[in-house]
Amino acid sequence: MIFNLFSRRFRSLFVGFIMIHFLTVSAQNSPEKLFKDGNTAYNEGDFTKAVSFYKQTLEMGQHSAPLYFNLGNSYYRLNNVAESIYYFEKAKQLDPDNADIRINSAFAQNMTLDAIEAIPKSQLAQIQQSVFSLFSLATWSRITLLWICLFVVVFIAYLFLKTTEWKRFFFFISLLCLFLFVSSFAISFSINQQQENTQFAILFSNKIDIWSEPNQRGEIQFTLHEGTKIQLLESLDEWNKIRIANGSEGWIKNAEFRSLKD
Amino acid sequence: MIRILASRLLVSLLLLSTFSIQAQVSFDAKVSKKRLGLNERLRVDFVMNENGDNFNPPSFTGFQVVSGPQQAVSRSWVNGVQSFSKTYTYFLTPKLKGKITLDQAQITINGEVYKTSPIIIEVTEAVEKPNDPNNIDYITDENIKLVAEISNSNPYLNEGISVVYKLYFRNPISISDVQELESPSYGDFWSHLIKIGQVRVNTKGVYKGEPYNEVVWRKVVLYPQKTGKLNIEPLTLNLSLSVPSNRRDLFGRRLLTQGQKTISAGRRVINVKSLPKKNQPAGFTGAVGQFDFDVILDKDALKATESFQTTLKVRGNGNLKLFNLPKINVPNTLEVYEPEHKENVKIKLKGMEGTIEDTYTIVPQYKGKYPIPSIQFSYFDPKAKSYKTVRSQDLLVDVFDGPIAADSQKEITNAPKQIIQTADNTFRFILLNTKLSPIKTASFWNSTLFWSLLTFPVVLLLVVYLLKRFVLERTEDSGSKKQREAQRLARKYLSSAKKAFHDQALFYEALERALHNYLKAKLKIETTELSKDKIERLLIDKKVNQQTALNFVAVIENCERARYAPGSSVSIKGDYEKASSIIASIDRQL
Repeated sequence: MIFNLFSRRFRSLFVGFIMIHFLTVSAQNSPEKLFKDGNTAYNEGDFTKAVSFYKQTLEMGQHSAPLYFNLGNSYYRLNNVAESIYYFEKAKQLDPDNADIRINSAFAQNMTLDAIEAIPKSQLAQIQQSVFSLFSLATWSRITLLWICLFVVVFIAYLFLKTTEWKRFFFFISLLCLFLFVSSFAISFSINQQQENTQFAILFSNKIDIWSEPNQRGEIQFTLHEGTKIQLLESLDEWNKIRIANGSEGWIKNAEFRSLKD
Repeated sequence: MIRILASRLLVSLLLLSTFSIQAQVSFDAKVSKKRLGLNERLRVDFVMNENGDNFNPPSFTGFQVVSGPQQAVSRSWVNGVQSFSKTYTYFLTPKLKGKITLDQAQITINGEVYKTSPIIIEVTEAVEKPNDPNNIDYITDENIKLVAEISNSNPYLNEGISVVYKLYFRNPISISDVQELESPSYGDFWSHLIKIGQVRVNTKGVYKGEPYNEVVWRKVVLYPQKTGKLNIEPLTLNLSLSVPSNRRDLFGRRLLTQGQKTISAGRRVINVKSLPKKNQPAGFTGAVGQFDFDVILDKDALKATESFQTTLKVRGNGNLKLFNLPKINVPNTLEVYEPEHKENVKIKLKGMEGTIEDTYTIVPQYKGKYPIPSIQFSYFDPKAKSYKTVRSQDLLVDVFDGPIAADSQKEITNAPKQIIQTADNTFRFILLNTKLSPIKTASFWNSTLFWSLLTFPVVLLLVVYLLKRFVLERTEDSGSKKQREAQRLARKYLSSAKKAFHDQALFYEALERALHNYLKAKLKIETTELSKDKIERLLIDKKVNQQTALNFVAVIENCERARYAPGSSVSIKGDYEKASSIIASIDRQL
């Protein structure tokens, strides 16, 4: 019985391997190759083709900031506002400091119809944001681990040292390491919380009304157009509560939007 | 001489009076004809040559009085002869055929009653050409018509209708002058009078199948602005007419008589339907008719800070002057000025026709591509009885040179509107190299690996600590450890003695008590009552070094001595140290 089970599992694994093999053979393209093909198509001016190459790369489960950037550029060339902004935002998520991405994203932002002035952040929030954005979440978690390891090493050294001066010195160092560990742990934790609780999306609906309540009895507060970045807050049936950069909130019905998270 | 003159005057006066008395009083009834058709009119004049009272007309049985009595008085002096006549005139129409007797009329003149003689009138079958051609009213009624032609008396709101006032007349009437007495005002309508210029007579007009001369007097285009029943006020004209009379001139031609005629037409009620609410498009601004809609850019590629113009144009026929064009919706970084409105509308009888346009001047501030989304224009087509929506094409303006807008995200943190002015800030080319990574990466944070890597050092630390505590310290030099322990104990017991360093008596009392307490704790026996020898033996029994035991006893003795013989030379500090070292050494040996 057990043997049977094992053999079945092995067989499926084997079939899986073969399948993957076939897929790669039939596509005959590595993601890198597709990316290069996309670049060539873009340079030749065939943006639709470029988009399809880049999309294929994405479908293979691979991504990178340049890939999203190139997709955004292709859509910009095709005058597709919402798609272009969406991919530029994706690129920014992966590489926030890239000047090329920022500049072209500004070009795409120019195409949108809505002028939304973001509310200025407080000094404290700015500092917090700049600290949080120093490293990615993964790096922050690694830093957390580094500090705990350092703390342990230094504390053990303190335990085994005989000289009072050295002992005192190592004790202080270990305390410092512990403090740094706690703070980097807290930062990682809140970054994770932030990422899980805030979900941004790009609006794809041509034009949509923002209601004060999730029903038609409320009032229309304002109107948004495609390409606007919105923050999703809650949802009720076909209604979604959103917030935009200037702090205004409201409900949209049956909106087309694409989350920046996945 | 004078007498002769006076007699002559008298004679002449007499003559005059006799003449007047001799004048015959007459009172006659005259009829225009004694034989007439049933559809004709009869004029009856009662004429008298003296003024009378109490005129009593006959009963006119068998006739209907059309008009009258009309009184006419004429008085004249011709060559010193006065003539007078007074006439009562009636117009009658017969009610039945046959011989009808017109009864007597009565009047009292100078106190005497005069009567006319009865007249027998013969009424025959209706004749083809009835009536008296002299009667202007009758002729004008028959031969002049004023008509208001309304194209549609049941239009939709804002659907154009036309009203044409036409004057029809035919022989034998000719019109010499027309005055408008009352011009209609079209209160609930948007109205436009179409200029006609010179009035022309169309001699080949037809009214109710008969040939007439036709004059188009006025043309009006109306657009109802309210729903429901709306009144159109009438048009009233005063006509100066020339009508031929039955008198003829020397050459046998008929003489014309002048007459006035007031005629009015066009009191009408227009029932205006409201536009259907069903399926009304969102952007409907009240346009009714048939239209074309277009958005035109004068250029689609330019430099920043140059201007271009976008024209929203509606062409067609309908209430062009009566609705607003839709608004343009452009990207936020374009500067848009108030539109210039232009109309080129001709108003014809079938309504307004032409184009209206709004021209927006737009100045792009930054380089880039700016889409101008399709604009939607909705109107109601009254012919199809449905709403129609026209969309313009999506347009794109390419601004190929100029500053670029900074990233909005950066703007917030830095100064407002930070614009990068350098020339190389063009739209960037794609990035050619990449390092692809899988999209689905499990988050390292919160993963099992992360937590195990986090707990491992902590566990390690604990293990190391416990090892050190329980394994390493046991193998360590136990002597030194015990020594430390003993010192700690001594310090504990001697702490009260240490506090009394300043007072010798108190110090030694405390020291002695501390030593006894120590033994009590260590040997579990009460030693205060014991002699020093006994203590010494006890200590030795417990395998304490003899020297140490002796020292211990010596310290106790010292204490006693100090207590009972104060002032003896003793060293508080020395005794304290000795006591602590003895306690430590006993402790080690026990």
